[in-house]
This record gives sequence, structure tokens and C-alpha cells, in this order.
Amino acid sequence: MNILVCFTVMPELELMLDDDWVVDKNLHIDVGFLKQSLNCFDESALELALRFSEAAQNLHLSPKLSALTIAGPEATAMLKTLSALRFDPVVRIDSEKDLRFQSMSIAAILSQYVVDHPPQDVVLTGIQSGIGENAKTPLLVAEMLEWPCITQVIEIEPVDETELTVTCQVDNGLLQQTIQAPCVLAVGNAAYSYLRVPTLKDRIQFGKKAHEILYGGDFDALEEGVELMDLNLAKQERSGTLIEGATPKEKAATLYASCLKERLKKL
Amino acid sequence: MALTRQHILEGLRKIVGEEQVVVDEKVLQESSVDRFRRFEAYHGVFRMPLPAAVVNVSTTEEVAAVMKFANENRINVVPRTGHSATEGGLETALENSIVIDGSTMNKIINIDTYNMQATAQCGVSLQRLDDLLKEQGYTTGHSPQSKPLAQLGGLVATRSIGQFSTLYGGIEDMVVGLEAVFPDGGITRIKNVPRRAAGPDIRHVIIGNEGALCYITEVTVKIFKYFPENNRFLGYTLDTMKTGFEILREVMVNGYRPSVARLYDVEDGAYHFSHFAQDKCVLIFVAEGAKPLADATAAAIEEIVSRYDECKKVDARLIKRWFEHLNWDPADLVEEKREILETKNICNTTEIAANWSIINEIYEVCMRRVRNEIPDLTLLGGHSSHSYLNGTNLYFVYFYNVVDCKPEEELSKYHLPIKKIIVEETIKAGGSMCHHHGVGKHRTQWIEKEYGSSYYILKKLKEAFDPNHMMNMGTIIPLED
Repeated sequence: MNILVCFTVMPELELMLDDDWVVDKNLHIDVGFLKQSLNCFDESALELALRFSEAAQNLHLSPKLSALTIAGPEATAMLKTLSALRFDPVVRIDSEKDLRFQSMSIAAILSQYVVDHPPQDVVLTGIQSGIGENAKTPLLVAEMLEWPCITQVIEIEPVDETELTVTCQVDNGLLQQTIQAPCVLAVGNAAYSYLRVPTLKDRIQFGKKAHEILYGGDFDALEEGVELMDLNLAKQERSGTLIEGATPKEKAATLYASCLKERLKKL
Repeated sequence: MALTRQHILEGLRKIVGEEQVVVDEKVLQESSVDRFRRFEAYHGVFRMPLPAAVVNVSTTEEVAAVMKFANENRINVVPRTGHSATEGGLETALENSIVIDGSTMNKIINIDTYNMQATAQCGVSLQRLDDLLKEQGYTTGHSPQSKPLAQLGGLVATRSIGQFSTLYGGIEDMVVGLEAVFPDGGITRIKNVPRRAAGPDIRHVIIGNEGALCYITEVTVKIFKYFPENNRFLGYTLDTMKTGFEILREVMVNGYRPSVARLYDVEDGAYHFSHFAQDKCVLIFVAEGAKPLADATAAAIEEIVSRYDECKKVDARLIKRWFEHLNWDPADLVEEKREILETKNICNTTEIAANWSIINEIYEVCMRRVRNEIPDLTLLGGHSSHSYLNGTNLYFVYFYNVVDCKPEEELSKYHLPIKKIIVEETIKAGGSMCHHHGVGKHRTQWIEKEYGSSYYILKKLKEAFDPNHMMNMGTIIPLED
């Protein structure tokens, strides 16, 4: 089974200070001084793929993992890590277009890659990126490929060369279903949230393999139909109150009276 | 005859009352170790003897009474405040130990901005004290990575050092006076004066004693004027550590005192600075203080570095943002635990110090040997973070995947063999095996080699102040078989 993991490398925006949020005339914010890291949902997707691969090998199946991102050279360190973890090929599509908030364009590029690089059985990706947070891309990819899509995936297990068991979160619990590939799987809050770390030996042996770079202009990106008009920092400030009291009981009573009592009445 | 656990608890309850004697098994398990055994602890494996109790003390007199009781009954006492030690110093090596927890002694007693000193109880967190000082335009100048967790008693007991040490010094340069309790229950105070020449400086019997001689209950430290608006951040990439050491030396021997002078090798640099320093070493300086001083220091450093063609300057914001997120906080520890349990990948460190003439040699031999002799490494790097007129430190950082072994075998398979290589190569070359984490309980096997003929003085201190062998046994000086 061939699994393609589509992932995003993004700046660690939580390191930004308010003063850093300077929007230029092209609606860009300089984040070049921030460290890059994997989008958290994509990190889970990559680790799930590795665990799936191990389980498949234990069943004497022949899984093949590859990884794809649309990014600039800033993603190079992450691509080397994925090569060291034996994703092969590891592909970077270098797009000159501003693809922020352009889920239609991104989906078009990803789906074209899937079509142009057969055979692909499963497209695995995080449910959404930290930039945009629209959760549309996996669904759009599935629609363009005319493949089924499952969202909020938390686990995948191999069954045979064409089937896999997918566990996903639904409104009232977990849904486990065995499905036939091909499919698009969008990973949500999976139990595994960290990508494993390759050893130095694997970095030397596999990590230095050159990753493939494709030119974004060779892909037919669709027009989004929406235009970015403005960018503003959304303030998410919280306030804190120190509850005074001689004993924990006294403090709990104050907390109940001042914060909880009225809210509980409304439930 | 040794007291039974029941008798120990009865004795403690008589002294401090029922509520302050904690015997909850989970608390006792976590109090039997520190961060040295965190891999085992995260997996629920606790191999050290569980203490009889954790005693939460609220006054110096309570500490004295508990110490006197333990001394008379020869019960091992482990002094503790912030519980952020990394070298096993807080492990309870003997059966039925008493952990005296001073974290509830957390009053800031006095901030004296005329005489430029602040006095606080042992359980005051450094972050809290420094934040309060900064509101008034002052700072302790002390900023170890554990700042949000560590408390003053432990920071002094381990001879800690902070990221701004090149300007402000280590804790030993900051402490002006102390209060401590010795095993017989005697309370000792060393007054706060600018200098003294009345015999040996006895502050240094207490600073760095790691709980093996006494319990530190109160600390007075210097404070400094704080001018963050004048901070100048400088960062460079370069090709080799050897060049970096040369530059650090030039800065130091010419008398410049940046608050930060740090040099990262390629691997460690890639971990922290992958966004601008792939396959490069990284050199960082911060100049601070009054504006003329900060500007002059920064200008001098820039002139020195400019003589080295391989150094390329980077955007100062890269350095500034990184510094703002360097310290641990409790949330980071929760995150670390999750990550270790999921990935089985753990980071440990060993820090040493040596003179300029041998530091690069130590760096190279340790890196070569660890890389060749230790399996499953995922990162092996090092940095110099504290420089002096005559030398610098090296902080070896290593991550490894724990594979094919039980949690309780992690230390003997990875961390201890790595530490052994680094410590033995350092001592062989003439350096010091501990720069700022303390000896703890896992470098004691080399303590005689570390001291050489001066070990006599250390041994005598232990015999003199702890004749009944009840103070944090197995720390600094090894347990006898």
C-alpha cells in the first residue's frame, strides 16, 4: 500500500511578540526570524504513517511511504529528517505563488501530484494547518480525486494490501471502519502527537539523500475566488484573579460564589 | 538501633504536626528521585528506597528541630526546595530518609535598593523574586534555565549559574550572606557585608554543599540595576568550534563583559537555530547594562568578530526571540513527559569546565568517543555558555532513543556511559568534571580524582559538620560499601 503524507512546515508563531506583527503593503508578515516546525496535525499524520508501516511489515505486507509539502527552502531541515525516517521520496513543491488561505489551489496541486505519480493508495494529512485553519484542504483533495474522505482520524491499521482499518472521532464517540483504498484521511487529535526522532546513523545514511524539488508553475493551481484584503492580530488575552483566603475551603467558597454559582444556574 | 519508619513518623509529627508530614505513596515515590531518573519515573519505575516522609517546613526553627531529631537518630535527611535537580542529588539513597521540603518557606524578607541586596527564604522561586525586582527596575542577574521552577535554597546549594553569568557571575558571586541549619540543629547566620578578610570565606562551606553539610534556610543576594531597553543582541554563524573558542577568549581576555557569550556546535546549533544555521556553529552575545557600557561592549565584540572572515552576522531578532523562550516552565515539563513517553527519545546533559588551552581538545575527544561508542544517539552536540578570563564551560547535550531495554536500564545503557566518557576525558585533560549542575550522586566515583590532593579538605568538612552521616548521604562524597 502506498501512503503519501502531505504536510506543512510553518513558523512557530507562538514565539511572536505583539511588536512583530507588522503587516506590509503586500499583506505579508515577516516571520523569517522564527524557527520552523511541523504543523501539529501533520506531525501526527507522519507518525501514524510510520506506525502503520511497521504494523504492515509485521503482516508481511509491503507498505511504501512518501512525503510531500508545498514550501520554500526553509523546509529543508524537516525534509532531511523525513528522509532519515525512510520516507521515500520526500518531495517539495516550490511554489512562487502566495498560497496562504488558498485551500483550493493547494488541493489542486496536491491532487495533481497524486494523479501524476501513481500508484497512490492513501493520502494522509493533518486536518488543518495553523495558518488558515479552514480544514478544507483534505476534503477538497478528496473531491478532486473523487476518493472518499474520512476526517478526525486518530488511528490507522493495515488489513491487507488494499484495505485498512480507520478509527476516527465522531460526535458521540469513536467510529472504526475497515475501508478499501484509495482514500483521503485527515488526521485530527491522534494519540500520537510527536514524530519519532531518527538516530544520527540514520541521518547520515538516509537523511542526506537529496529530496525532490518540483516547480510549482508546472501545476495547474485553481483560482480561489477569494482575495485577501486585510490581516489583523486577533487578541486572545486572558486575565487572572488571585483568590485570597486563609484555607482551601475558604478559597473554594469564594471561587464558587464569585465565579461558578451564576454560571451553574444557567446550565 | 535504627528507628522504625513508624517511630520516625511519630517523632516528626510531634515536632511539626500531622499536616506537615506527608506519607502519600505517590509523593514519596516522586520524592525518592529527581530529574536524573525521570525516564524511569515517567514509566512508573521507582527503584530508590522510598523516604519515610516528606516534611513541609515553615520556619527555620522547624528545620532545626527536624534536623536535630534526624541527627540524634542517625536518619538520612535530603534537603529540597524546587525539586529541579538533574544529577541525582535529591535521590533518597538510604532507607527511611526524611525529605525536608522548604518550598513553603517562601517569604521575600527584604529588598534593599540602597545597599543593593535582597533577602529571601529558601523556598522563594527565583522567577518570583526576579519579577518583583524587575517591577522596581532591578534584577538578581541570575537566570538559569530552571528559573521558573528553581528556588533560592537549591540554587545556592548546587552552585548554580545563569545565562547572564559572564556579566553577573555565578550564584557564588551573588550571595552576600546566608542562614543555614547544621545537623545538630544549630542555626548559623553569615552577615551581609560587601567583603571580609577575617579568615577563610565561610560562605563557601555552605554554597555548593548540595545538602551534604547543612540546610540553607535564607539567602541574601546582590541586586543590580536593570536596563533591558539597552540590551544589544549579536549573533553569528561560523564554521568551527575552535574559531568560536578563540573569539570567546579574545572577548574575555580583553576585559569585555557581555552578559551572554555562547557558542553552539553544528548539531546543537541545528537543534536551536535550524531556521538560520544549518551545518554551521553559532556564536551569540548579549551586551547589557547602562547604555554607554552596553554600546561599548557590543561595539568591541563586533570589532573582534569582524577579524574572522568565517563569521557571518545574523538578524538580532533571531537571537532575541530565541532567548525569550529558553527557560523551562511547568507546562514544558508536562510536554516533555508526554514527548518522552511517546517517542522514547530523551535528552540528557553533562557540563564541564576547562582552561582555554584544553577546551577544544576536550570537546573533540568527547564528541568522537561518544559518537563512536554509544548506540541509538539522535543528537550529540555541545555548547559553551559561561566564559571566564582563563577558560570556559562545555555543556554536552545528547538525545537518544531508548530501545531494546527496560526503563530501569536506560541510565546504565546510555546516560552513565556518556557521562563517564565526558568526565574521564575532562579530568584527564585537567578540567573540572562539574561546571554548574553539582556532583549529585552519579559523579561521586570521580570526586577524589576531581579534587586530587585537596580532597582531604572536602572529606574533613563532611566529617566535621556531619559526623553522624545523616546529611544527604551519597551526594558529593560516595557512600561507603
